[in-house]
Amino acid sequence: MVGPNLEGGVPPGPGVVDQPRVGVDEWVANVDERREAQKGLTGLVRRAWEGVPPAGRLVILLGPFAIFPFFANEGNLYRYGLITVVYALLALGLNVVVGFAGLLDLGYVAFFGFGAYLYGIMASGHSGHHLQAEIAIPIAVVAAALVGLLLGLTSWRLLGDYLAIVTLFFLQAFVIFVNNANGGPSDFSYPFVGRVDLTGGANGLDQIDPLNFFGYHITTTKGYYFYTLISLALLMTMLYFVNKSRTGRAWRALREDPLAAEVMTMPVNRLKLLAFMFGAGTAGFTGTIFGAVQSGAFPGDYDVGLLITIYAIVILGGLGSIGGVVIGALVVNGAPELLRSSSNARFLFYGVLLLALLVAMRPWYRPVVVLLGTIAFGAVVRVVVAAAWPRGTAGHVQGGGAFGRALDHWVLIPTHVDRIAGWAYFVLILAALVLTLVRGWWRTIALIPTLYLASFVWENKLVEQVSGATRLILLGALLVVIMNVRPAGIFGTSRVEIV
Amino acid sequence: MNWSLFFGELVSGLTLGSIYALIALGYTMVYGILKLLNFAHGDVYMVGAFIGFFVLQWLGGPLTTAVTGWLAIAIMFVVAMLGCGALGVGIEIFAYRPLRNAPRIAPLISALGVSIFLQNSALLLWGPQFRSYDTFDLIGVKSYHIGRNFFISNIQIFTIAASFGLMAVLTWLVARTRTGKAMRATSFDREAAEMMGIRVDRVISFTFFVGSALAAAGGVMFGIVFGQIFSLMGFTAGLKGFTAAVVGGIGSIPGAMLGGFLIGLTEAFATGYLPGGSTYANLYVFALLIAMFLVRPSGLLGSPVIQKV
Amino acid sequence: MRRRAIAIAALLALAALAIVAAASATTNRAAAPSAQAATAASLVKCGKTRSIGLMAPFTGPAASIGINQVHWAQYFQRTYNATHKTKIKFVNEDTMLGSANGTAEAVKGAQALGSNPSVLGVVGPAGSNEVKATTGALKGAGLGFVSGSATNTQITTDGTRTGYFFRTVPPDSSQSKSVSGYITGKLKVTKVYIVDDQEAYSIGLADEVEAQLKAKGVTVGRDGVSQQQSDFSAIINKIPRDTELVYLPWQLPPKGQAFGQQMKSLGRGSVKLMGSDGLFDPLFSGLGSNVYDSFFPLNPSDKRVKAFKKLHGGASELFGAPSYVATQVVSGAIDRACANGTASRAEVRAQLKKTKISKKASLLGLPVSFDKNGDMVKKPFGVYHSVNGVFVRVG
Repeated sequence: MVGPNLEGGVPPGPGVVDQPRVGVDEWVANVDERREAQKGLTGLVRRAWEGVPPAGRLVILLGPFAIFPFFANEGNLYRYGLITVVYALLALGLNVVVGFAGLLDLGYVAFFGFGAYLYGIMASGHSGHHLQAEIAIPIAVVAAALVGLLLGLTSWRLLGDYLAIVTLFFLQAFVIFVNNANGGPSDFSYPFVGRVDLTGGANGLDQIDPLNFFGYHITTTKGYYFYTLISLALLMTMLYFVNKSRTGRAWRALREDPLAAEVMTMPVNRLKLLAFMFGAGTAGFTGTIFGAVQSGAFPGDYDVGLLITIYAIVILGGLGSIGGVVIGALVVNGAPELLRSSSNARFLFYGVLLLALLVAMRPWYRPVVVLLGTIAFGAVVRVVVAAAWPRGTAGHVQGGGAFGRALDHWVLIPTHVDRIAGWAYFVLILAALVLTLVRGWWRTIALIPTLYLASFVWENKLVEQVSGATRLILLGALLVVIMNVRPAGIFGTSRVEIV
Repeated sequence: MNWSLFFGELVSGLTLGSIYALIALGYTMVYGILKLLNFAHGDVYMVGAFIGFFVLQWLGGPLTTAVTGWLAIAIMFVVAMLGCGALGVGIEIFAYRPLRNAPRIAPLISALGVSIFLQNSALLLWGPQFRSYDTFDLIGVKSYHIGRNFFISNIQIFTIAASFGLMAVLTWLVARTRTGKAMRATSFDREAAEMMGIRVDRVISFTFFVGSALAAAGGVMFGIVFGQIFSLMGFTAGLKGFTAAVVGGIGSIPGAMLGGFLIGLTEAFATGYLPGGSTYANLYVFALLIAMFLVRPSGLLGSPVIQKV
Repeated sequence: MRRRAIAIAALLALAALAIVAAASATTNRAAAPSAQAATAASLVKCGKTRSIGLMAPFTGPAASIGINQVHWAQYFQRTYNATHKTKIKFVNEDTMLGSANGTAEAVKGAQALGSNPSVLGVVGPAGSNEVKATTGALKGAGLGFVSGSATNTQITTDGTRTGYFFRTVPPDSSQSKSVSGYITGKLKVTKVYIVDDQEAYSIGLADEVEAQLKAKGVTVGRDGVSQQQSDFSAIINKIPRDTELVYLPWQLPPKGQAFGQQMKSLGRGSVKLMGSDGLFDPLFSGLGSNVYDSFFPLNPSDKRVKAFKKLHGGASELFGAPSYVATQVVSGAIDRACANGTASRAEVRAQLKKTKISKKASLLGLPVSFDKNGDMVKKPFGVYHSVNGVFVRVG
C-alpha cells in the first residue's frame, strides 16, 4: 500500500501546485505516461515490443520453438522442447486463475492429473476402453471444468489465504484418492458397482493409448511437440482476446479489489467460478497430452512439487502476462536441464555472480575492484592454507574443462569436506544477509570474502546436488529476491494500490 | 464398546494435538499481527527438530550422553528454541519486512520461497534419510495403566505436560506483561499502535521469535515421542498446524491451542474408527477444516471480522 | 533504478541461457529425430570402451537406496575393468525417484539414453513405476534394460515389454509366497495385521500376502501409513490386542525401527514383526528377537560382498547387490554381441535373453538365466530371523 507523502506532517494548501505526489490521483493517472517515457534499455525494448502488432509478437515468441525440432535430437527435443511447452500450457491456465482473477489456487495440478487419469480411463490398455482422442479429449476437458466448478463453489465465501488452503487440501485429497482407487482393500466400495479399479492405485494407470485423431495416431515426440505447440499458440491467442474483453476487465477488477467490484454490481462469485473453470479446463487438456506422452499416469507426478514449478513459472514470467509465461517456462525448465552437468552449472553460477556484480554496482570501477580483490584474496588464502594444512587443498574440482582446472588452483578444496562445508554454508547465508545491511565502501570490502566463500561452498557442497536440492535452493532464494525487488514478476505490470 | 481402543486413541490424540497446538500458536500469532500466512513456519519446526538431534549427538549420542537423560533433553530444548527463534527473526527481517506494504500475494510467495529454501538446504546439508532420536533408551520408557483399558507412557505424559506448560507461559506473557500488551495492540491496529509509541518492528520480531521457539519445542518433542525426523517433515506438520489455527479461530491464542488438540484428536479417532483409517486420516482433518469454513468462517474462538468499506 | 538494473540482468541472463541451450542442442546433432528408428538395428562398431546406460536415483528422496545401487554397479565396473582389456563406461541418468516431478525425470533420462548411439544396453530404472513410464522411450529406441530392484509382479507378465525388460531380482509374487508360507507353515500364527506404506512396492506386496494368508484361513487386518509419517501410535492402538504378527512391507529401515520402538513403548513389544527386503537392515534387526524379515538369498561371506563392504567402510547395505548382477548381465550380453566386432541394440537384446550365469559366478547364490517373461528362472526369497541383533536365515 502506498501512503500519502506528508512532508512536515502538514498537507500543502489548496493553491500550491507542485509535482504529483505518490498516491495522489494525478500520480496514478500519469502511470502510463511515465512508462512511455522510460529511458534506457528497458524503455527501448518495451516500446519496441509494444509497437509490434499482437500477431507479430506471437510469431516472435513462438518462432524459435517452431524451428527447434530441426536442430535437436530426440532426447533434447523431449527434454527442452516438449516438456517446456507442456509446462507453458499449464502455466497459462494457472495465469488465468492467479494472474487475471487474483485467486490463489494451490490445487491446480490436481486438474492436470484429473485430465491425464480420465483420458487414461477412456483410452488405455489398462482399462480396456479405447476411445478416440477427438471424443475423449473434449470429455476430459469438460469434466475437468466441471470439477473446477465444484471446487470453485467452495470459494463462495472465501478469498485469499483461506482459498489457498482449501485448494491445497483438494490437491492432497486428489493424490490420496488416486493412490488408492485400485479396487483393492483400501479403496471405497461404490453403491452399484462395488470396488472398481479406476486408477491402478499406486502402480499407476499404464498403457495409455497415444492420441488418436480420426485414425491418425500421434506416436513420435516431434508429433506431440507440434500438436502441443499449436495448442499453445491457439490458447495464447484466445487469452489475448479474453484479456481485452469485458470478462478480462471484470477479472482484473476482481483481482484489484473484490469488495469494490462487488459494490459495482459485478457478479463476483460467477467471475470466480468462471476463472476456476477455465483454469481447470486448460489443465485437463494438458493432462490428456501428458498422459499420452508418458503412456501412463502415476500418482507421484501430480503433487506439490509440480505445483511449485508451475507457480515459479507464472511468478517469474509475470502475473497476468501471457508472453511472459512462455519465457518463464523456458527458464524454469531449461535452466535445471542445463544445470545437470557440473561444468555447465559452474558456468551459470559464476556467470550470474559476475552479472549481478556488474549490474548492481555503479560506477564501473567498483566491480572490477571487487573482482581483482577476490582473486587476490583467494590466491593468498590458498597459499596460506596449503602451507598450514596440506589436506585443505588436496581435493579436486568436480567436472573438468579448462575453467574447472583453473579454479582448482584458486578455490580451497579440502579432501574431507562435509562438516566444514555445512558450517561454511551457514556462514555464507549470514554473510549474504549482512551484506544487505551494510552500505557504501563497507559493502565493497565485505563482498570480497563473501564471494570467495560462495565459491568455496559451491565447489564443495552445492555442486553435488546440482539437479536436485541446489536447483530448488536457488529457486527459493530467487522467489524471495524477486518478490522483494519486483513483486509483479519480470514481465508483469507493476500495480499501484491506492489506500 | 472397545474401551482400550477409545482410551488409546484419546491419549494418542492428545499427544499429537499438543505438538500441533505448539505449531498453531506460531501461525496464529504471526497472522494476528501481520495478516500473513507464514508458509515457512513448518520448516522452522523441522529445523528445530534437527537442532535437537545434533545437540544430542554433540552431547555424545542417545546411549552415551555426557549428562543425565533429562538434563540432556532440557539442553536440547533450550538450544533448539533459541536457535529457531533467531531463525524466525531472520526470516522476518529479510523475507517479510520489505514486503509489508506490497500487494497481498507478494509475502505469500516470498514465504513459499523461504519454505522451499529451508527444506532444500536441510536436504542438501543433512540428506534425505530419516534420523533417529533414539531417546527411548535415554529416558527409559515406562508404561503406566489405570485399570485394564487405560494405558499411557511417561513420554506421552511429558509431552502433554510440557505443552501445557509452554502454553501457560505464553498466556501469561501475552496477558500480563507489557510486551504482551504491545503485541495485542499491534495485532489490533498496527498504525494506531505505532502512533502510540509502540516500537512495532521490535514487537513483530519478538512475535516471530516466540512463535518460532514454540515450533522448535514442538519439533524436539516430536523427535522424542515418535523417534524419527527428516527434512521434509515440516510440510504436512505446517499444514496441520495451520488448520488447527484456523479451526480454533485465527488470531486467537486459546483458539490455536483448542484447535491443535481438536485436530490431533480428529486424526487419532479417524484412524482408529473410520474405514480406511490412517490412509484417509489426513483427509478427515481437511474435511473438518472445510466444514468449519462453511459453518463458522472465523473459527471456534475467533471473533467475526467486520470489514469496514 | 535498482529494479531496472535487475530487470536488465534478468534479460541478459535469459539471453545467455538461450545461447547456451542452443549451443548444447546443436552439439548433440548426432541423430536427427527421424533416424531414431534406425538406431535400434543400426550397427555400432565395438571399440575398447563399451557404454552402458545407468538409470538410478542419484538425488532425491530415494537417493540413499539409489546411491547404494550405483555403488554396486560401479563395483562391478571396477572389477571388470581391472580384469578385461575392454572397459565399461557408464552413461548416468538421474531418475530422481520419488521427487517432485514424479516419473518425468526418468522418461527424460530414457529419451536421452535412446538418442545416444553409443549406448547399447541400460541398467535400471529402479522403481516399478519408472519402468512402466520409460518403456515407451526405451522400446522405441530398441534398448534392452535390466533392473535390479523393480519388483512389481505385473511388469513382466503384462506383455508390454517382453524381450526388452529383464530383472535380476525376484518379483513380489516370490516374496509374498515365501512370507506367507513361513507365517502359516513355521510360525503357525492365525491372526495377522498388515500395514503398508502407501507406495506401489508396498501395496503390491501387501495385497498379495493378504490374499495368500486369507486363502489359508488366517485372520488378516489391513491398514496403511504414509511414508512421510512417523506417528504410528494411532495405528498401533488400532491393532487388535490378540494380533500375533504384524507384517510391514516397507522400504525405509528407520521407519521400521520407529514402528518397533513405538510398539514397545505402548506395551506391545511382544508382538512379532515381519518385514520385507526393504527393511533388511541392522536398524530393524536390532529391535529384538521378535523380528523377522525376507530377503533374496545373498551369501554374506562371499568374497565379493566382503570386498564391497571393505570398500565402503564397513556398514553398507546389500539392497543394491542385484544391480551388480544387472550390470554383469548387460555387460555380458554386450560382450557376446560384440564378438564379431560390431553390435546393434537388437543383437544385445537377443543376447540378454540367452544370459546364463552359473551359481558360482553369481553374487545372488543362485544361477541367473531368464524365462520368457524376463524374470529369473530361479527366484526364491529367504526368510530371516533376528538373533542377537543380526539376521540369520531360517526359511
